[in-house]
Amino acid sequence: MKIGSRISFVAAVSLFAGLVISIASAEQVSKPVKVVQLTGLVGVKDNAKGTLSVDKGNLHFAHAKQTSDVTVASIEDVSTGADSQGAVGKTVSMAVPYGGGRFLALFRTKIDTLTVQYRDADGGLHGAIFTMPAGTAETIKQELVAQSAHTSVQQGPDAGTSPSVPSAGKEQ
Amino acid sequence: MNRILAASIRLSVCTLLLFACPLFAHKSQPAKIKAAAIEVEMIQSDEIKLPAEFQIALYENLIRQLHEQGFSQVYREGDGNAAGVTDLVVLHSTVRGLKEGSERARKVTTVAGATSIAVHCQFTRGDGTSLLERDVNGKVRFFGGNLKATNDFAKKAAKVAEESLSSNAGTQDIPWPAGF
Repeated sequence: MKIGSRISFVAAVSLFAGLVISIASAEQVSKPVKVVQLTGLVGVKDNAKGTLSVDKGNLHFAHAKQTSDVTVASIEDVSTGADSQGAVGKTVSMAVPYGGGRFLALFRTKIDTLTVQYRDADGGLHGAIFTMPAGTAETIKQELVAQSAHTSVQQGPDAGTSPSVPSAGKEQ
Repeated sequence: MNRILAASIRLSVCTLLLFACPLFAHKSQPAKIKAAAIEVEMIQSDEIKLPAEFQIALYENLIRQLHEQGFSQVYREGDGNAAGVTDLVVLHSTVRGLKEGSERARKVTTVAGATSIAVHCQFTRGDGTSLLERDVNGKVRFFGGNLKATNDFAKKAAKVAEESLSSNAGTQDIPWPAGF
């Protein structure tokens, strides 16, 4: 009888813990990620730096005391990709004498890209592109998908080229 | 003496024809297609797998460049406001080729790593009647990221639209008479 009660107690605790964990993960608000909005958000300039998060059914972009929201329900496709960017700024590279800028151009950092296709109130299709630190785009994508955003590719980086088209030195 | 006179007359006639031909050729261009508004469809890529960021950048840059070329009414795909517009022209773009280069190679070598993209553009009426078809390329050779090629394409495609379409209500959709 004692063993039986212990087993049932452990089972109850496990069930409760599982429930708590699942509820907590479902309700979690994503930590804002530093991003660059390359293009596509209405009312936001290209290459605007800010933070991106998924909050209360919105993809929330905050920049320079302004915010821009895209409702998750309006998102038709989310995809991620990988790229790289110069680790040293363009201006600094150009200022280095004796062609040193070219040497500095060899140093690059990996970044993620997140692309979102969404509809406005009139049904017009928009597309937004964000770049962010490597490893963060997939998290945001999964959060959007968890809140019923659509995606054509369920998991993993989506970017790529066809084998029929030679990819000359794809930057990774 | 007569020979010299005849030769000079022939020379004059030839010179006149030489200069007049380009003038006639310029006049023989058909009138612009009447377009009260343009609806831009999302970029398609049936033959190759296009990275999503390229697809979006092509679409967004194309819409922006059409605005900058002076088209006041540019609608996005699916925009309900475009439904009732008369003389609506729909722009369909299909990517036919992509050579994704390397910004690093461009910076280091200045000769290698170019990115190029080939897009087939088709202008149609709302009912699908084809008006114009062109192949437009976008390239980035020296400076900038790979996505800069999409802006180059958008500029060229918007230029094609500007040369071929007219939002002017008074434009006649009738070609010039033969010979002019």
